[in-house]
Amino acid sequence: MILPRFDVLVPNSVDEAFAMLSRYAEKGIRILAGGTDLLVDLRRPIIPAAIPSCEGCARHKSGSIRSTVDCGWWESDSSRESDRALLTKVQDSIHKYPEYIISLHKLKELRGIAVNEKVNLRVGAMTTITDIERSGIIREKWTALAEGADSLGSPLVRNRGTIGGNIANARPAADTFIPSVALGGVLDIHSEKGSRKVPVDSFASAPGETVMEKGEMITGIEYPAPPEFSGSAYYKLANRKALEICNVGVAVWIALEKPGGPVTDIRVALGAVGPTPILAESVKEVLVGKKPEDANIKKAAKAAREDATPIDDHRGSAWYRSMMVELVTDRMIRLAVERVGGKV
Amino acid sequence: MSKNNSYKILNTRLPRVDAIDKVTGKAIYTDDMSFPGMLYGAILHSPLAHARILNIDTSRAERLPGVKAVVTYKEAGTQPYGVSPARYDETIFCHDKVRYIGDEIAAVAAVDKDTALEAVSFIKVDFEELPVLLDGRHAMDEGQPQLHDMYKNNICARVNWNFGDIEKGRKESHIIRTDHITSKMQDAAFMEPQSVVAEVDSHGNLTMWSSTQAPHYIQRTLAMALNMPLHKVRVIKPAVGGGFGPKASCSTVELATCLLALKTGKPVKTTLDREQVFLHSRARHQFFHTMTTGVKKDGTLSFLEHHCILDGGAYASFGIATVYYAGSLLGGPYRLKNMKYDGYRVVTNKPACGAQRGHGAVIARAAFEVQLDRIAEELGMDPIELRLKNVMEAGETTCNELFVSSFGMKEALEAVRDSAAWKKKRSLAGKTRGTGKGIGAACGFFVSGAGYPIYRSKTYHCTVVTKVDEVGGGVTVSSGAADIGQGSDTVLAMITAEELGLPLDDVRVVSGDSNLSVDLGAYSSRTTLMTGHACKDAARDIKRQILEVIGGKLNIPPEKLDLKDGRVVGIDKDIDFSALREEYLQEHKGFMDLPEGPQLTFREASRIAFLEIGSVVGTGSYRPPKLGGSFKGATVGTSPAFGCSAQVAEVSVDLETGEVTVDNITGAHDCGFAINRTQVEGQMQGSMMMGMGEALMEQIIYNDKGRIMNANLAEYKIPTSLDVPHLDAIIVESNEPHGPYGAKEVGEGAIMPVIPSILNAIYDATGVRIDELPVTPERIIEALKKKRENK
Ligand SMILES: Cc1cc2nc3c(=O)[nH]c(=O)nc-3n(C[C@H](O)[C@H](O)[C@H](O)COP(=O)(O)OP(=O)(O)OC[C@H]3O[C@@H](n4cnc5c(N)ncnc54)[C@H](O)[C@@H]3O)c2cc1C
Repeated sequence: MILPRFDVLVPNSVDEAFAMLSRYAEKGIRILAGGTDLLVDLRRPIIPAAIPSCEGCARHKSGSIRSTVDCGWWESDSSRESDRALLTKVQDSIHKYPEYIISLHKLKELRGIAVNEKVNLRVGAMTTITDIERSGIIREKWTALAEGADSLGSPLVRNRGTIGGNIANARPAADTFIPSVALGGVLDIHSEKGSRKVPVDSFASAPGETVMEKGEMITGIEYPAPPEFSGSAYYKLANRKALEICNVGVAVWIALEKPGGPVTDIRVALGAVGPTPILAESVKEVLVGKKPEDANIKKAAKAAREDATPIDDHRGSAWYRSMMVELVTDRMIRLAVERVGGKV
Repeated sequence: MSKNNSYKILNTRLPRVDAIDKVTGKAIYTDDMSFPGMLYGAILHSPLAHARILNIDTSRAERLPGVKAVVTYKEAGTQPYGVSPARYDETIFCHDKVRYIGDEIAAVAAVDKDTALEAVSFIKVDFEELPVLLDGRHAMDEGQPQLHDMYKNNICARVNWNFGDIEKGRKESHIIRTDHITSKMQDAAFMEPQSVVAEVDSHGNLTMWSSTQAPHYIQRTLAMALNMPLHKVRVIKPAVGGGFGPKASCSTVELATCLLALKTGKPVKTTLDREQVFLHSRARHQFFHTMTTGVKKDGTLSFLEHHCILDGGAYASFGIATVYYAGSLLGGPYRLKNMKYDGYRVVTNKPACGAQRGHGAVIARAAFEVQLDRIAEELGMDPIELRLKNVMEAGETTCNELFVSSFGMKEALEAVRDSAAWKKKRSLAGKTRGTGKGIGAACGFFVSGAGYPIYRSKTYHCTVVTKVDEVGGGVTVSSGAADIGQGSDTVLAMITAEELGLPLDDVRVVSGDSNLSVDLGAYSSRTTLMTGHACKDAARDIKRQILEVIGGKLNIPPEKLDLKDGRVVGIDKDIDFSALREEYLQEHKGFMDLPEGPQLTFREASRIAFLEIGSVVGTGSYRPPKLGGSFKGATVGTSPAFGCSAQVAEVSVDLETGEVTVDNITGAHDCGFAINRTQVEGQMQGSMMMGMGEALMEQIIYNDKGRIMNANLAEYKIPTSLDVPHLDAIIVESNEPHGPYGAKEVGEGAIMPVIPSILNAIYDATGVRIDELPVTPERIIEALKKKRENK
């Protein structure tokens, strides 16, 4: 197959999962939720240069990392500086192409949508994107998250893909990550040793990199109850109407004193315009305490643009993305305000 | 529109013969096939875009347990091959150089795919890197890296044509405009990646099953490159999930898999990964068009001066035909007396381009139709009026000597104009231009089968053999034609059923096998017209034989008999068939399902014919008459008939984000006569979607090393079902004298007007012209920004 070799572990309980994660942490173990990111990531590219290549490897110049790992030459022969650098690469790839895959599909307790007594929303890590899309309560009160789910992939992908996977994968354009930042989501991260809570907005550090340690796993995500007169919206700007990675994604959550009244709080999350989804902090400074009026919203949208750090890549140019951040932020603030019952 | 004739089967909407098998998953595609002891193939691709090969070391790969063969140029030889004999520039594997990222260096056969892939990664190749050439526009410049010794200045093919008198045309012109359009390389994005199974029997016969469009050409190339007699090579095409052109030429995966089978004596299967489909490519070229067109005051076209560079990637493939088509098919559908064309097809260090739906002519057509729109605006004339003023009619010949024997161009234009309420919507144009809603029109013109085969030969283009069941009842149509999803098996079945008065279920079609007949394959929109002719002749041959036997037995002239509704009937009086019935019944004692009624069934008649004369076999062969002029390259663009089409597109554009929504497409296509109405509409609708993708989304993106950045269907964008607008497909039937029953093409011609009609609509909606395809939101915003800044 085009996939590397690995063994699959299927825990029957969350505790068993934690134990497996810690036991195999050093050998390389990766979590399988829906697999819609993981399997794509594991797939062996035809042109090997796309993975850290073992140029400099004494035994063979071309070849997959897995075969480099399997041949084991580096264990005996890693004294030189250049070989040590290569060893790090190989070790990284052990993590990328692990010996074990642990599938969470039997852990029913990780799947589900619940609203607790404090009216906070809790979504289990294994909840599918389709589950979220179909949830009436999410659409009503955490609208931006429902809109993120709507815009993700296609029905097939949404049926398999999970929110835990979307967030753990830590891509700057992840369609439930971006609204989760705006909605103030907090992740429950567990391991054999215990648990901790990490706000979504400080979870990712670089594309694909997060604050998660070896042996840890996300069990769920909690969103604070929306206060009265608050609302949210998400828009994904892309070239086609489905199966898209956004060019720019903007989620806005806004709270007003009363419909049309001054802004008490706002969180704007920007996607695909930085290494991770970004919380546009300066918007808060511009808009809190002010009325959601045309001129103020325009200023806020400009501030969001300042916070964005888009780059040129094969999906689009920095100048266009920068311009669109301002535009889409402007539109989403207005939409969120309208949803609270205001008019701009 | 519904049918208006006396046909029972033709011109209806009968379901395709392969429909149920395909939707239930029963149809067998190449990758579904498996043989005992079968090995799996894998290919080593070049990781560099341009490099000299210094050494290839396969020893470690050979030592891997499970590996049965490793082949490189040392085993394959360096016999050059290609598509056009004048440009044989490929060898099975690279030997001196690699010329693009993906170029094939070696192949492995092993007991499973895993092992084969592993072994490929163990092949060690030493390269000396060479400077890389990626920009086709500058490929001919001094000092650029040279790809092939045989292509000086990287020019693979050039065309310099001059028809009529350009200077005279220039003098007569009231308006002269020069415009440019550039496009990007594209992928055909067919659903089924190429897959091949090859096997050699104990007599040395090589059989290859392949996801191909052209078993005959592939058979020839295999025999030539593998140095085998043609009759020892058999190519079979199982069900195919789309081709659109790239599967019309022989590929390395086909050659390599056959070589591995020959070497190991075992069946070998190789199926490409999607990334490899992109690497192999052979899809749409990149075009850089510059057109200068002149018109008289009244809108009459006076001349076209056309310059084009085609970036064709590393090898010629179909590229010579492409560069000719890019010029020749602008000869129609308008009266154009003076046309100059300078086309250059260059090579660069990118995957090779070849034929893709609307071969060579699609971007040229887009450029010209957009220019006509701009001219109409300068003239203050309605763009459809301008086109109507210039369209050709049946019986005319273009300046490059293409004769159009039927031509519903005017009807098609009027049909879309009226059906899309053009006049009403367009009358607002002055007021709505640039407000985000737009409407645009365009026409198209295409061959109905290439007039000449790709290799120089007198060969028949296709033959059909139809045999009557010797037990009586049905017939089997055998043909080399390639049904790649376009529905040619259904066309052959319908023609045969119509001729023999049979229900469709009693006609079996076996096809796509080089052992069955010569058929040039599914390209240039040729099968319905050409194989249709042969099929019709074969059926009539059978009918004649059966009616001669029956007539002979009953002492009735065969002309007084006919086959209808599964029975033999007398044309002007009822006939007493009881003696023949008795003969049939005598043979079938104990059977319960016996014929009854006053007329003789086809089942009886066909059995009785067999009893009398033995096998009843009908044959048909077709090749076009001599076509076209005598200038250099005159053969490309010739065809026994030409299809034409018109289209109106309506779009909405978000002027702040640049997002485009295509709201409606109304298309009309002259297919001569619709053998199956639903299939004609299907080809039109498919063309509309495909063209829409090319206009708005599709582009292969390379980095500065020549590596494809979007070699997958997540990042190479084609329209999803949510992007597809309301599509209205109008069939125009002009009754083509050279087509069977009046039929001609729809498969490729229907894509011609799609891109320009959308581009013209986007202009109407935005007030800006974008001369770089695809028209992405970003490009629209860029153009709007420029326009504002220039004000
Ligand atoms: C065709 C296609 C289209 C797509 N379109 C979109 C799109 O439009 N927008 C978008 O945002 N994404 C898109 N994706 C990406 C993907 O579908 C989503 O990110 C999805 O939500 C991932 O969830 P999953 O359950 O499949 O994750 P998996 O693939 O199972 O896992 C993804 C990563 O997260 C880790 N992981 C999974 N669960 C946990 C957990 N509980 N704790 C810790 N780590 C975990 C895995 O180890 C892996 O590294 C698309 C994917 C495909 C194949």
